[in-house]
Amino acid sequence: MTPQIELQNVDKHYGAFHALKDIDLVIEKGSFVALVGPSGCGKSTLLRSIAGLESITSGTLKIAGNTMNGVPPRKRDVAMVFQSYALYPHMTVEKNLSYSLRLKGTPREQARKRAEEVAATTGLTNLLSRYPRQLSGGQRQRVAMGRAIIRDPKAFLFDEPLSNLDASLRVQMRKEIRSLHDRLGATSVYVTHDQIEAMTMADHVVVMRDGIIEQHGKPLDLYDFPANRFVGGFIGTPAMNFIESTIGADGATLMLDGLGGETIALGRKLEPGRAVVAGLRPEFLRVTDEESASFHVELGPVESTGSVNYLSSIDQKLTIVQSERTGLKAGDRVGVTIDPKLIHLFDASTEQRIVSA
Amino acid sequence: MGRILSSITDGKGFDIIMVGVTMAFLFALAGVPLVYNVVMSFQQVDMFNLNTFSRPFVGFDNYVAVVNQPEFWLIIRNTAIFVFGSITGQFALGFALALFFMIKFPFAATIRGLFLVSWVMPGLVVGALWGWILAGDFGVLNAILKAVGLTERTLFWKSDPNLAIWAVTMANIWLGLAFNMMLLSVGLAGIPRDLYEAAELDGANSWQRFTTITLPMMRATIGAVLALGLIYTLQQFDLFPAITEGGPANSSNVAQYWAWQWSFVLFDFAKGATVSVMMLVFVLVASIIYVWSTRHEVRG
Repeated sequence: MTPQIELQNVDKHYGAFHALKDIDLVIEKGSFVALVGPSGCGKSTLLRSIAGLESITSGTLKIAGNTMNGVPPRKRDVAMVFQSYALYPHMTVEKNLSYSLRLKGTPREQARKRAEEVAATTGLTNLLSRYPRQLSGGQRQRVAMGRAIIRDPKAFLFDEPLSNLDASLRVQMRKEIRSLHDRLGATSVYVTHDQIEAMTMADHVVVMRDGIIEQHGKPLDLYDFPANRFVGGFIGTPAMNFIESTIGADGATLMLDGLGGETIALGRKLEPGRAVVAGLRPEFLRVTDEESASFHVELGPVESTGSVNYLSSIDQKLTIVQSERTGLKAGDRVGVTIDPKLIHLFDASTEQRIVSA
Repeated sequence: MGRILSSITDGKGFDIIMVGVTMAFLFALAGVPLVYNVVMSFQQVDMFNLNTFSRPFVGFDNYVAVVNQPEFWLIIRNTAIFVFGSITGQFALGFALALFFMIKFPFAATIRGLFLVSWVMPGLVVGALWGWILAGDFGVLNAILKAVGLTERTLFWKSDPNLAIWAVTMANIWLGLAFNMMLLSVGLAGIPRDLYEAAELDGANSWQRFTTITLPMMRATIGAVLALGLIYTLQQFDLFPAITEGGPANSSNVAQYWAWQWSFVLFDFAKGATVSVMMLVFVLVASIIYVWSTRHEVRG
């Protein structure tokens, strides 16, 4: 089957700035792909290149099998939902929805009917005669989505569509977008800087940094097997703890140099003396009693949200998440343990994941 | 005493003073002359009663006399040509230039700024400048038209009764072009870029983007520019003495220049006032349109 969107060796330069570096990406029909990364990583540029709002310097971009380099946006048959929504302020909701149909010369009555259908799927039926300025943030968001849906495009492109909404609405819209995607059988590319959105919504997550794809795959694969230190730190909240360490003389233990030099079991064999960075997820660390403790830390600030407690070491190098309330406070010295299988190891210099034999 | 002082500094008294000062200013320097002008248009004014207020009222006699002047309809026609020709030319060329300068190219902003030179120059200087350009025997315009082959004969722009009003109109278009371009540029810059991107993805070609996004979003700006254009064109005086002096035989005379001629050439102040009151009514309509159009801002 031809992939819906295909990028081969795509490069993008802005003058001397190299925004996209040799991007290869295949997006299958019907999939929901999230492009995620810190700001300036090139994810928005990549999305806008697919839309045709930016031209690519070299490489090939195909949509539904057709090469799209140099094809203007209006002929690419993709729809985009903008961060700012970009609703036409001088048009009612109905006119906003039916704009693309009216441009194509669809009879007025038919365009109105389609707008009503789309309004029904997006919950805008009562708002059709309103102007965008009379709508709340969430309603505007829906109009922006409806405007994309009405066209039945080859792909939906989302450019950080939820970042202007408040937290609770964001969670709700997350689910709505995903269920809309499933109902329409659409192909979606979703740009976000929020890894939670990426993890919860997408079938396939692409992590980018400085114009390159650091890793892409299923959300849980990225969580379980981060390819490098950057992905490990980017996926998961709170972020993974990184501790400079050395493999012990027997090759099966880890000296936590960055955390006072205590030794913990590794459960696998590596070259003795090798400098590594240990990645310890806060949610896998457990506070425990003295005899089963792998290592010890002195606690700094303790933050509690009621459901979870965030414990930090006094030097801020380690964060522990625990759900049970233990009454621990700053200054306490506690024992910590972790299942050796859950320790991620990255090479100290290349920062790549160390795959144990 | 302290109570009065505090009511001035932190209470309603201060507000009253602020309103009072500005209203007094407006009344003394705009209201009184305006009313005086209107009153004069209903009076018989001559050199002997010029320095008194109590002059014989003559009702609409001045208006009837002005309308019955043989040159009245010619001047109305000229004024119409001058106003609509100028506004059309200034707006169309100004909009074209404004759109042109929205394209990104090196020094775009600087070059756009240079266009303001025409607007900064005094009208009399512009008039003198265009007087040279339009000169029949040695003017640049004729030389160009002949060289391009658009005309064989020498066009006497300033002395041909069929051309004279167009000559002044041309100069006025040049004079007001930059102002139109600037206001329209500001309006264009206020339209968010992503609206164009959204429209482009929705399938709009550049002409459709212009008619469905640019024009409706510019409605308020366009209304303001046209209304201001009307007001400024009716105020345009300097070009007439500098280029044609309203001649030949009133063929390029317009209402504002005529009003001045009545008052300060013929010393018939009442008729001068009458013509200016007629114009005032017209400008008032334009001002109302202007205020109305700026109230209906359609923005995000």
